[in-house]
Amino acid sequence: MSWVGKIEGLHRTPRSFLPMKSFQSLKLITGVGVEEDRHSTGEAFHSDRPEEGRQITLFETETLEALLRDNGVKLSMEDHRRNVTTRNTPLNHLVGKRFKVGNALLQGMRLSTPCNHIEQITGLDIFYLLMNRAGLNCKIIVGGEIFVNDRIELE
Amino acid sequence: MRKIIHRVTTEIKEIILDNDIKTLILTDPDNWPLPPFSAGSHIDVYLPSGKIRQYSLCGDPDISNEYIISVKGEKEGRGGSQEVHELRKGDILPVSLPRNNFPLMPAQNYLFIAGGIGVTPFLSMIPVLERSNSQWELHICASNKNNIPCSRLLKSYMEDERVHWHFSEEGNRISIPQVINEVSLGQQLYCCGPEKMLMEFENLNSEISERVHIEHFGFNKPIDDPAYEIYLKRSDKTILVPRGETMLNALWNADIEVPASCEGGVCLECKTRYLEGVPAHRDLTMKIADRDNYLTPCVSGCSSSRLVLDI
Repeated sequence: MSWVGKIEGLHRTPRSFLPMKSFQSLKLITGVGVEEDRHSTGEAFHSDRPEEGRQITLFETETLEALLRDNGVKLSMEDHRRNVTTRNTPLNHLVGKRFKVGNALLQGMRLSTPCNHIEQITGLDIFYLLMNRAGLNCKIIVGGEIFVNDRIELE
Repeated sequence: MRKIIHRVTTEIKEIILDNDIKTLILTDPDNWPLPPFSAGSHIDVYLPSGKIRQYSLCGDPDISNEYIISVKGEKEGRGGSQEVHELRKGDILPVSLPRNNFPLMPAQNYLFIAGGIGVTPFLSMIPVLERSNSQWELHICASNKNNIPCSRLLKSYMEDERVHWHFSEEGNRISIPQVINEVSLGQQLYCCGPEKMLMEFENLNSEISERVHIEHFGFNKPIDDPAYEIYLKRSDKTILVPRGETMLNALWNADIEVPASCEGGVCLECKTRYLEGVPAHRDLTMKIADRDNYLTPCVSGCSSSRLVLDI
């Protein structure tokens, strides 16, 4: 499968429940997470169940578009609570694969699963709509600063 | 066991003392925006002792980085307000996401009735209505001029002709029937205050009752039921609920884990399915249809000799 994706949006938040803020770049720390994001500081909702696959999380723009087109649900890049919003990147195919995001190198660990937490925060009935398209949890193999519009491609 | 990461973490940025009312301004420790709320919302506050209490948010919903709550010290209460009054600037205070059981319904015209500290939800509604050029009137009931609730937050409305003052010690007690008579067509009526005042509105046998909205903050009457028995069908366990004890406490004392939050029959977090028996429900928010199958152990009692729960 041949593809080249790109970063549509970058977001982080310092603590569980707080709104995500948009940034033009994020600093990725090898083996740790996104600088100042709740998953790297132990202040995420799931930090009592740590896993390296939560160092950085990704979500497809195409899912946001499909939710609006097919279900009339308007979910924004701030709402899905993943760090990187991608375009033209087949996230469900990247479990176990290494891929480049700008200058950084990530490894897909497992598919993200929807959770009640996101329904609680958004107030939207989206748990079932996000089944099998809730994003990708990754480990940071090589860190660095990544920017909106950076390329995403297999290693 | 819930941890701080399972709550919204706030820090007390400022405390305003106003007679026996303490107003707390809560922010994120790094001043990050807090989860948004709509006018009329409240939060659960998780106090250091483990007590959980609900308070209306009384700031402008458009101000994204702070929650404001005002709490009256109630010497005869359940201890929550006294504990809030012991909090200090800089203390970390975990809270819940905002919830709204008292939202502004679409209308051009709103009538608010506040009994004392019950003015708090209206303080979040007024800025929203001002921005949308909606009409509103606020009746505030207090004992006297020196006992105006949240007077500092109300400062800019003290002379506003849309605010009507009722001081019972000056012979100017509000007449609910008169207020009802003057409600105009299409006007939405909101009331928050002492239980007695709310009961007066709830018992309205009036054509406007569907336009009446009431904010409850828990069941305050002491439970004085005779002892009764509950049988937990799935656990195959029988528990005695002693006289004057809540079903929830009896379950907890028997090491049965039941999640609970408000302990006042409002949040429904402890909502539990029952299979046999006749509960005395007493909750304030459960849908009538749900009462055929569910009860709230924090406030529900038993009108039969025994209840069978599906736990």
